[in-house]
Amino acid sequence: MLPACAGCWLGMPSRTETNRNILQQVLPLGTLLLVWELVARAGVVNPYVFPPVSAIVMQWASLFGNGSIFAPLGATVWRALAGLGAAVIIGAPLGMLMGRARWAQWFFEPLFSFFFPLPKIALIPLYVHLFGLFSFSKVMLIFTDCIFPIVIFTYHGARGVSPIYPWSAQARGTSHLRMFWRVVFPLSLDSLYDGIQVAVVVAVLVAVVSEMIAGGGGLGYAMMLAFRYGDVRSAFAFLVTISLVGFFLYKVVQLLRERLLFWHVTET
Amino acid sequence: MKFMPLLLLAVLWQTASMTGLLPATVLPPFSSVVAALVSLVTSGEIFPHTAASFLRAGAGLLLAVIFGTALGLAMARVRAIQRSIEPILLSIYPVPKPALIPLFMVWLGIGDVSKIAVIALSCLVPVVISTFNGARAVDDILLWSARARGTAEHRLLWRVVLPAALPQIATGVRTAIAIALIVMVSSEFISAEHGLGYLIFSYGGVGADDAMLAVVLYLTAIGFLIDRAYVAGLRRLLAWHAFAH
Amino acid sequence: MTCASYLSLQGVGMQFGGTAVALDSISLNIAEREFITIVGPSGCGKSTLLYLIGGFLQPTTGGVTLRGKPIIGPSPDRGIVFQRYSLFPWLTVRRNISFGLEELGISRAERDRIVAEHVRLVHLEGCEDRYPRELSGGMQQRVALAQTLVCRPEILLMDEPFGALDAQTRRILQDEMRRLWLRDTKTVLFVTHDVEEAVVLGTRIVVMSTRPGRIKEVIERDFDIADGDEFEANPRFAALKLRIWHSIKEEVEAVRA
Repeated sequence: MLPACAGCWLGMPSRTETNRNILQQVLPLGTLLLVWELVARAGVVNPYVFPPVSAIVMQWASLFGNGSIFAPLGATVWRALAGLGAAVIIGAPLGMLMGRARWAQWFFEPLFSFFFPLPKIALIPLYVHLFGLFSFSKVMLIFTDCIFPIVIFTYHGARGVSPIYPWSAQARGTSHLRMFWRVVFPLSLDSLYDGIQVAVVVAVLVAVVSEMIAGGGGLGYAMMLAFRYGDVRSAFAFLVTISLVGFFLYKVVQLLRERLLFWHVTET
Repeated sequence: MKFMPLLLLAVLWQTASMTGLLPATVLPPFSSVVAALVSLVTSGEIFPHTAASFLRAGAGLLLAVIFGTALGLAMARVRAIQRSIEPILLSIYPVPKPALIPLFMVWLGIGDVSKIAVIALSCLVPVVISTFNGARAVDDILLWSARARGTAEHRLLWRVVLPAALPQIATGVRTAIAIALIVMVSSEFISAEHGLGYLIFSYGGVGADDAMLAVVLYLTAIGFLIDRAYVAGLRRLLAWHAFAH
Repeated sequence: MTCASYLSLQGVGMQFGGTAVALDSISLNIAEREFITIVGPSGCGKSTLLYLIGGFLQPTTGGVTLRGKPIIGPSPDRGIVFQRYSLFPWLTVRRNISFGLEELGISRAERDRIVAEHVRLVHLEGCEDRYPRELSGGMQQRVALAQTLVCRPEILLMDEPFGALDAQTRRILQDEMRRLWLRDTKTVLFVTHDVEEAVVLGTRIVVMSTRPGRIKEVIERDFDIADGDEFEANPRFAALKLRIWHSIKEEVEAVRA
């Protein structure tokens, strides 16, 4: 076998894969932040427009301290989860149905295909018109956006279930409904979860953007407000919080996978 | 035809509107949306906005592809670059890119530059990642084979690595296109004077729902066609690759 | 007899990652226009040996010299044919074959002429515009061979080139290999795990032992292999085959013990 020459294009001596220690990961980012801090403090740029990292961190801490961050944080998170939950409740069965029933596939697949490339954000004005300015319209938009990955992943998962399982169950006289519940459903869960992992990131993104545009509370709105008042530090603080929320939720979903799917059957 | 269900949906919509099940205050009838679209197209009004939007998105995307590919290749070639850039990219990754729009507007003004910049940054990440992965995955045999046929080391990038990584880069670009559209519309909602997002936002604001939905439909169709055209183009360009089937 | 060897390995050793010794004190002198086959059990480092000669690896001990000068890197003078997946998938058969020529600044017309000649040589007329994905294993290896030969290497290195093919295709390609070599004799180093292939093709057969890889013995094939299939009936052929097979079996069993 050829010895591995990972990524070196024959120009560098072969080296074994880097051992990822924490320092290596943090250093470049740390350096960047340091440079930022120094540039901001040096007075080279307008401190309003480019606040030093330390000022942002302090502002961020104070937002927690005076509790003003909790309401928007809660609003964004609950909207994201509500929209995601709705998407799973409706999208998962739909995807499975599409995977197993010809007519469902025939009807829904082109719909999802056609509307997939549309940035659903474009529907914000419509949804505000239909569902108002507050949480409901945002949850509906999150639902609309999240249902795509959920349906697509579940659909492909259900389609991929080898026909052997349903056939053998059928041979033993299992009714269609029972077969679905006992066979197709557990096997599609794996794909569904993949879809959820994608959708959770989308949920946070859509929550934030819809808040930025349509207002009605939440981290996105808080950030926009801060920008409008020229409070760039708070705006940055909100931005950081938004990113952390997205990251955190994604990680939680990822870690929960083991717990929730521990019983799931691995195909042949 | 495969898109019969879309037609069915339109028929359902129209029927619901005509029978009064769907009041015009909630949603205008499909027919009036179509009429609005036709008038926007025939009057030519929609085209400068289409151009404005897609020029921005295109410019941002182009920048992202050029820099992203270069960066991804550099990261694949030089370990030090990979080690320094990768953590930074990973920390940008969880930031919802449209959330950067107001920041960029503070930094770069409310005109096209800030929009193009955000789009470019948003699209950069998937391109860099896919280029990096594609370049790293190049089979050593191909590099050795090229060297054994007399290819100089500095030519390996152009003759072997880039063509070999192209399928993966192309997949990353497809993701980038979708991201570009999202950020394009978002930025136009936040602040713009031309563009399809701007049209949707302002029509929505004055309650001209049929015109608004007409533009939404138009945007959907364009987005769909762009994606299809991209995939078809890829099939021809990368006819040698397995996924051309 | 030449005093200075054409291709020479002196005390070559190869160690990977500090502990795994792939090759140990390999010394071998090869004269021009020999067809050397290298056989041995799996993991004996025969491919590594080839890559050292090809210049893709540098030995940890000892050295490889060509005409007295040390080998420092790959070069089209030492062409190599790999076992599989070595064609550039994004190029047609024609472009794959002309790959080496494109670096040389030869005119388009001249390149086309050389490519056409080599396509005929490996019997792939009609396939010039196909992609590797569309070719069978045997056809791919023919392209690989042509791709190597266009660079006019003085030494041809072959790393189990027919190993991934079915028995019939292998047999056909072996015959063609012999034909090609007789026509245009170069120095060939041919690695294989197939004892029969080693005897049929090689004028000198190197048997290797494993863990660590060493040269166990070097045997001259002192009879000719006739054209056609008559060689199968030749008792000396069978005897040599058996002798080498026993030699290898010893190694395999020694390792298992």
